[in-house]
Amino acid sequence: MKNPLKHLIIFTSLFFTFSPALTQAQYSDYLTMSQKIISLGKEYPSLCSVKTLVKTDGGKEIQAITIGTGDKDNKPAIAVLGGVEGSYVLGPELAFGFASSLLHAAANNGTKELLDKVTFYILPNVSPDATEQFFAGLRYERNINEKSTDNDRDFLTGEDPYEDLNHDGLITQIRVRDPEGSWVISKEDNRVMVPADLSKGETGDYKVFSEGIDNDHDGKFNEDGEGGVDFNRNFTFDYEQYGLNAGLYPVSEPEVKAVADFLYDRFNVYAVFAFGPQDNLGHPLKASDNSRSGRRITSILKSDEVINKLVSEKYHDITGAKGAPPAIMGHGDFMDWAYYHYGRYSFSTPGWWFPVGKGETREAAFLKYAASHNMNDVFVPWTETGHPDFPGEKVEVGGIKPFAMINPPADTVPVLIEKTYRFITTIAAMHPELEFLNTKIEDAGENIFRVSLDVHNKGIFATCTEAGDRNIWTRIMRISIETGKGQVLLSGDRVARIERLEGDRSASYSWLVSGKGQVKIKAGALNTGTITTDIELK
Amino acid sequence: MKKQIIYIFLASLLLLVSRTADGQKEDLFFHAAGSPENPRVEVSWNKYYTYSGVVDLCKRLAKAYPDLVTMESIGKSYQGRDIIVLTITDKNFRNPEDKPGFWIDGNIHSVELQGTEFALYTAWYLCEMRNENDFIRQLLKDKTFYIAPTINPDAREYFTGVGLPPRSGLAPRDNDRDGKYDEDGYDDLNNDKNISQMRRKNPNGRYKVDPRDPRKMIRVEPGEKGDYELLGYEGIDNDGDGLVNEDGPGGYDGNRDWGFNWEPNNVQYGADKYPFTFPENQAVRDFSLKHRNITGAQSFHNSGGMILRGPSIKEGGDEAYSRSDDYVLDVIGKKGELMLPGYKLVTIWKDMYTVYGGELDWWHGEMGCFVFSNELWTPYLMFYDSTNTDPYEFDRLLLFKDAFIPWQKVNHPVYGEIEVGGFNKNFGRLHPGFMIETDAHRNAAFCIYNAYQSPRLEITDMKVKDMKGGLKEVTATVENKRLLPTHSASNLKFRIDPPDYISIEGGKVIAGMIVKNIDLNTATEQKKDPSRLEVDNIAGYERVTVRWIVKGGTKYNINVKSVKGGIATALAE
Repeated sequence: MKNPLKHLIIFTSLFFTFSPALTQAQYSDYLTMSQKIISLGKEYPSLCSVKTLVKTDGGKEIQAITIGTGDKDNKPAIAVLGGVEGSYVLGPELAFGFASSLLHAAANNGTKELLDKVTFYILPNVSPDATEQFFAGLRYERNINEKSTDNDRDFLTGEDPYEDLNHDGLITQIRVRDPEGSWVISKEDNRVMVPADLSKGETGDYKVFSEGIDNDHDGKFNEDGEGGVDFNRNFTFDYEQYGLNAGLYPVSEPEVKAVADFLYDRFNVYAVFAFGPQDNLGHPLKASDNSRSGRRITSILKSDEVINKLVSEKYHDITGAKGAPPAIMGHGDFMDWAYYHYGRYSFSTPGWWFPVGKGETREAAFLKYAASHNMNDVFVPWTETGHPDFPGEKVEVGGIKPFAMINPPADTVPVLIEKTYRFITTIAAMHPELEFLNTKIEDAGENIFRVSLDVHNKGIFATCTEAGDRNIWTRIMRISIETGKGQVLLSGDRVARIERLEGDRSASYSWLVSGKGQVKIKAGALNTGTITTDIELK
Repeated sequence: MKKQIIYIFLASLLLLVSRTADGQKEDLFFHAAGSPENPRVEVSWNKYYTYSGVVDLCKRLAKAYPDLVTMESIGKSYQGRDIIVLTITDKNFRNPEDKPGFWIDGNIHSVELQGTEFALYTAWYLCEMRNENDFIRQLLKDKTFYIAPTINPDAREYFTGVGLPPRSGLAPRDNDRDGKYDEDGYDDLNNDKNISQMRRKNPNGRYKVDPRDPRKMIRVEPGEKGDYELLGYEGIDNDGDGLVNEDGPGGYDGNRDWGFNWEPNNVQYGADKYPFTFPENQAVRDFSLKHRNITGAQSFHNSGGMILRGPSIKEGGDEAYSRSDDYVLDVIGKKGELMLPGYKLVTIWKDMYTVYGGELDWWHGEMGCFVFSNELWTPYLMFYDSTNTDPYEFDRLLLFKDAFIPWQKVNHPVYGEIEVGGFNKNFGRLHPGFMIETDAHRNAAFCIYNAYQSPRLEITDMKVKDMKGGLKEVTATVENKRLLPTHSASNLKFRIDPPDYISIEGGKVIAGMIVKNIDLNTATEQKKDPSRLEVDNIAGYERVTVRWIVKGGTKYNINVKSVKGGIATALAE
């Protein structure tokens, strides 16, 4: 330890900065979160405004918190979203926690500087109907909203919900002893059920279902209960037509439309962070050689890959996270939409995961991790129960508790918030920013002046993503020259486009002006900020 | 006596006058084959209609035929105009939603007007011929037509009134991505409500006036001296950014806004934020979702003389086409080629270009319908000759140069003295007045053929056989007497609509089964709820035989209920 005292001081000050969060070691339900958001807005009225985007079918409001100084909406901005997938209730805590941390620190010089350059839009929870199941009397992992849908396409809706057979307020699993079944007890941990591996000579002796009965006697269990459409399956990129919980067509849901409209209306947003199952921070995405199929972009593009790699490294450094969560392919998911269709830098992570060794079963790895991390009470022991669909057979209810594998214990959340805050603010400091360099005035004689300069992107992030470069929702930077009274522009464009600038790249411009006076040169766009300079020609 | 004579005289005069007033029509006309003899709604088909004209015509039709026509607004356009749909069917015979439906719309693209007139003609013709023609009378008993004359009324109004909008509607868009919206559109420099070509005298120009025809500009030969340069469409660089007419009103394509195989703008030009960004399409979407009996559709466009069918993208994306579906589309399409001389059946991705998120894909992919999109008008129609398609000659001989705006001098703020002229916006893609009705009729007939081929289910071959133990065996065959199946491949792939239900009433059902082979007597039992048998699909001209074992009863009601096939009932005894 180099300087334990210094570390202690830093830790203590951070502790007190974040201590309000420590006192409530709980995830926040809708009412609590709404109140917290309103309070935050009241506490920091000049820096922060709260807007309701839409009311869901379940009567809950989706809120957007804008944090910034000065002309907030006309500065480059970062959007932060939680609740992208309802069962990941950590997401809303991290998103709101980030907003709250940012405001608490707003008086610090470093934060002041950042807010001067970058605005933040935080949407703590975009699936409030789904996340609320965490706090309901009957808890199960739910990603879907309140819309009545026919999930199994049997032309009935909600005809086969879960049932809490053992009345423990949780939906886990049931296993049925049956030689026709294809499941076996895992050799790694005898609490876990795994599919039998025929290639290893295993044959199954259990059937496994989610907890419930087959209400409509179609052989499937609990396949069509309450709700709904999954926010994280309803976006346009790689959308699955008639997919499970994907909605009838992309952006069919009020939540999704409201968030998409909010983002599309904000041309100043250049990057998006989301907390959900998709991850490109644990493992950055790899560009493939065939990144385009026709005109469709199908994998991350080269110069965007560079930034993703950097951001992923920073994520590991700052949060101390090791390895990566399981890679979960999305269809119609938010993270991919934000990159491929919205055209912005898009980062996503579940925010927490546990290590899984090579060849290890995920559930067994989890139980091992839980045991060594004092996470008790994550498992419901297999207990026999009666079951109307299996009269006379041995049926047991049990399994890993819902939410346990994807959300950490509530008392670990404050530390995660602190790490997330440091991570996002570090990345935010790499925002694109333009400056004029090498401004030169040459007197060409006869009252004719040659003005030349470079527009330099002094940030690390490019002025827009490579994927967004040809996207109509990305503003094109422009450079313009305004001549004074009596001056004439002899050569050079009055208005010209500035092509995309990667980090630390420049573009050069020059004009020929006749006549003394002041010319005003303006360069930029909403997502990079606009810079101006007045040049006296005398 | 004198008084009585006067009264009699006046009475007979009155009678004569009134008889003459009625019989005036009969005296003046002789029935031409296939046309309504005495239309209640008088219409000129050699015109294009403004939005007000369209509404007026719809109202008159609805008023004249209340037992056939229901007029409703299914939603509002961006600027608040009603999107009108006429539901046309014999309302006295069965519920409109219980009959196979056919959807027609026109004018989704602003300049593509004639789809509206053709849709209106179809509506008018069906109504006016109902009392005069057995086929039409039966058709309106069997089918329901849903006709939306214009699904882009804002831009239609802009086109007919002001100038040349893009294909889109009028919601402002920032096409050049400079933060300003619709700041630099076409400019009507000579105020003639047309956006024509600009030309300027230039001794070094590459164009000259055709010596045979002062309307025409032709390129000069290499080395030859020219007189003119062409400067593009009428316009000014309104926002001083060095580009002309780069950001006019609207700027999206309403036909790339549909929720099936949708792709964004950089892949599919014209797409916007997400499917159904625009209210007009939202209205049609919502209507389609509420009218799942619609089994076929036509969306009119111009031009090119094509009968377009899917698939729209090369790999088909999420589209599903089966051989039998292809057969159905090809049979109908080929009939179309026969009925519409100059028109060719074209597969969108193969013979035209890939289209993502088009309306056709919505109807086919998401709603499980059989749909065509006709691109109306082709130069072939000028002289019914694909080798002579000279618009100048056509304009001169048949339109007496009415379609050409003579070149006139105009002052341009940047270019100086220029000349503006060219073909009128009502020519080139739009049928000239005298040709509207003919092609409207042919296309209406094509729609009618489409609609006629939608499923028609009949219950035939009913047999009631006594069995041991007082049980009865009731067998019935359901036959689809038309070409279209009750479920397209798309419908089956995604389970868009429920299966066809064949049910029996009149006794206690012990078992129900679908007979696979009536001669070999093989059948598959339906264990769950046998009184209502489920059949996934009844293909074109297919017969499905079902059987129940019933206890009790003497007469049995057999009902067929098919979302897209309509209903049928019969009594078995």
